[in-house]
Amino acid sequence: MPDVLRIEHLSKTFPGQVALSDVSVDVAAGEVHALVGQNGSGKSTLIKILAGYHQPDDDGVEAWVDEKAITLGDGQEATDAGVRFVHQDLGLVGTLNSVENIALTAGYTTGFGGRIHWRQEAQRTRDALSILGLDDIDVKAPVDSLPQSHRTSVAIARALVGWEDGASLLILDEPTATLPGEDVERLFEVIHRLRARGVSILYVSHHLDEVFELADRVTVLRDGRKIATVPVGELDHDRLVELIVGHSLEATNASDAGAASAPLLTVRGLTGDTVHGINLDVSPGEIVGIAGITGSGREDVLGLIAGQIPRDSGDVILDGTSIVSHQPRQAIDAGVAFVPAERSIRGTVGSMNVRENLSLCDVSRFFRGGRMSRKAEIGETKEWIERLSIKTSGTEAPIISLSGGNQQKVMFGKALRLTPKLLLLDEPTQGIDIGAKDQIHRLVDTASSEGVAIVVASTDTDELVRLCHRVVVMANGHVTATLTGGQIQTERIEHIQLASSRGAS
Amino acid sequence: MISRLRFDKYSALYLWALFMIVFTITQGSVFLSWTSFKLVLIDPAVFTGCLALAFLVPLATGTFDLSIGANMSMALVISATLSSEGTMPDIASMFVALFACGVAGFISGFFVVRLRVNSFIATLGMSQVITAFVLKTSSQSINDAFTDSYRNIGRHEVFGIPLFMYYLAILAIIVWYVFEHTPVGRHMFATGGNPEAARLAGLRTDRLIWGSLIASGMIAGFAGIIYGWKVGNYAQTVGPGYLFPAIAAVFFGASQLKGRPNVWGTFIALYALAWGIKGLQLTFTSNVRWIEPLFQGVSLLAAVSLASHQGVVKARKSQEAAAEEPPEPEATIDDSPAPAEIVP
Repeated sequence: MPDVLRIEHLSKTFPGQVALSDVSVDVAAGEVHALVGQNGSGKSTLIKILAGYHQPDDDGVEAWVDEKAITLGDGQEATDAGVRFVHQDLGLVGTLNSVENIALTAGYTTGFGGRIHWRQEAQRTRDALSILGLDDIDVKAPVDSLPQSHRTSVAIARALVGWEDGASLLILDEPTATLPGEDVERLFEVIHRLRARGVSILYVSHHLDEVFELADRVTVLRDGRKIATVPVGELDHDRLVELIVGHSLEATNASDAGAASAPLLTVRGLTGDTVHGINLDVSPGEIVGIAGITGSGREDVLGLIAGQIPRDSGDVILDGTSIVSHQPRQAIDAGVAFVPAERSIRGTVGSMNVRENLSLCDVSRFFRGGRMSRKAEIGETKEWIERLSIKTSGTEAPIISLSGGNQQKVMFGKALRLTPKLLLLDEPTQGIDIGAKDQIHRLVDTASSEGVAIVVASTDTDELVRLCHRVVVMANGHVTATLTGGQIQTERIEHIQLASSRGAS
Repeated sequence: MISRLRFDKYSALYLWALFMIVFTITQGSVFLSWTSFKLVLIDPAVFTGCLALAFLVPLATGTFDLSIGANMSMALVISATLSSEGTMPDIASMFVALFACGVAGFISGFFVVRLRVNSFIATLGMSQVITAFVLKTSSQSINDAFTDSYRNIGRHEVFGIPLFMYYLAILAIIVWYVFEHTPVGRHMFATGGNPEAARLAGLRTDRLIWGSLIASGMIAGFAGIIYGWKVGNYAQTVGPGYLFPAIAAVFFGASQLKGRPNVWGTFIALYALAWGIKGLQLTFTSNVRWIEPLFQGVSLLAAVSLASHQGVVKARKSQEAAAEEPPEPEATIDDSPAPAEIVP
């Protein structure tokens, strides 16, 4: 069968790191080809190069679409050759309806005086969606008001408009990453339909069930190298995990941690968002890690504990005090400190300086004798800058003038100066250089030795291994395994988090 | 060398100095006289300045209040009606007026905080509702609406300057004090800077926004009270005319000193403009009404452009610095190379 896409000898080096090394991929016409690998394996880099977002290394790389040579790293050329993308964030404009969203890329058909033929446009949209099996969709409703699977379908429909005009390959980049279970099923139907129509699909995912459900062949990337391209029929679940992780493992047994001392934090039946009934005990000085792939509930657990996201049910008790749902102030007063993920959105106040960011949670402490004691505040800020070795031109430097790692250290200072009983860290070293990462890990160790109970949620498995006394692996909103002591190994955690995402729906 | 002079942060002060020099040379003693000084100090600045404070307070929390002009009218109408009927002591009528404006701010706050209506839209709507209330409950305009005893509460002069200027100064000092020297001010600016981060840091952002809208309503009401003292008449539509100059002064002022909305920057901007306008009015003696808006518009654009340009330059520099670091994973769900995972 002819290839719709063939890439040979693709390498990509970022300063100080190799993201892709001599990778070759081929997608046959009419097949659904899955591309899998861990975080950091190079999947996204590959897609981004195809889309023209990154440039490949000039290193003998060659690529063909429909047997026609193209230049990789030129997004327009790929699009012209018939490659269509549906990125993870879909790229829809939420306030516009389906007709308008599709016209964003396809353009409007206009009549006299530039008048848009709305009726024709609506018909085109309905046709495009009915190919995907969606006949009942309201094309005039803003896409934000549609169910998530419909939104994904609109994005797919948009990518496929003008398919007959020579489009040859549809690339779906983790389309189910943020979809709830029943929507995943609906999306699968859409993909089955597309394949029945002969559309070739490159399907990026880290849900292995989806690979078995949908794909004809699968390409596995690990650490920027292509490990294998195999027909799915020749694989079973365990073998695929082994290819991805790089080690085979004996059956893993979840075992209980020997409770060290009376727990400081007790969580019972915690439910809300993607989390369905979590129990967790954390002792003083203990560091508990939370692992799990995206959508497993890992990303919501800490917010639920800290009362930052509304809970559906469940109790959180810290040292005898109940932490109420959705009241950050009460949680802070009870002794919870939280360093959130996505620093610039939830952590830093960009318009303020280092000092103001550091003391944000309890600035009232400096209010003495009817005014703010600037001197005391600066003094304490300097102390923290020194203790955390924050690189800044001074206490008054705007927070945004600092590097990501140093901004994160300010966020740590902000949390630690509350002398918390419980420290919650969500992706504590995301997007941070290795030096700062090591310093932050040592800060966590220090806090632990001072008797703070710590919970770390992270996609960086090595980080969990480095830090934690106990690691809890989540899948589908539940805890599927608890690892302690010598069981805490990178491969084992990754193995469990992939294996236990079985039956994602 | 030029950057040492900090034109971006002190442009209004330089402008002020420039006007003083140019107009002293061209207009001489008339420009520098006590009478003209008093006119500039008191005349344009008092209503605009008070409304500017009203706009400034919610702006610190990232909230727009466009109903301040209407609130000013409402306070004027209520105090005039109540005091002229003579059923109520003068002071009481003022407080009723201020209270009514506070209630208007409370209602705006309800829409903004509880119903999550964009503050720009909510206060625009409230502004029209308040205007309707004013038009319905009062006659179009009254001359000598206030008794002398009422007006003397604010008009009485101490050291040649009327009392309301002292009141305004006290109000400005209170706002400055809250902004710069209390935790509340810090919390307000954090809310304005990043409401989500502020909320997660345990700040009660909803209360801060709501409270700032109530305060803004009352300060705007106070502008109406001052109008009653100073002018003694009332017209239903007096307030909105001051809205745009006040907003212009706040944004011009926000580009000064601290690079965020602040009290003294606002007043420096206000007075720099006032002196410039005065000088131009002395230069062109006939038909000078166009000078004021032109002047406010041009200097607002110039000052804010200068400040933004500096901001752009800084942002570019930090971007260039960041570009030398390896790329960062953009989000949790992104798996572009995270350094530690790639290194074998």
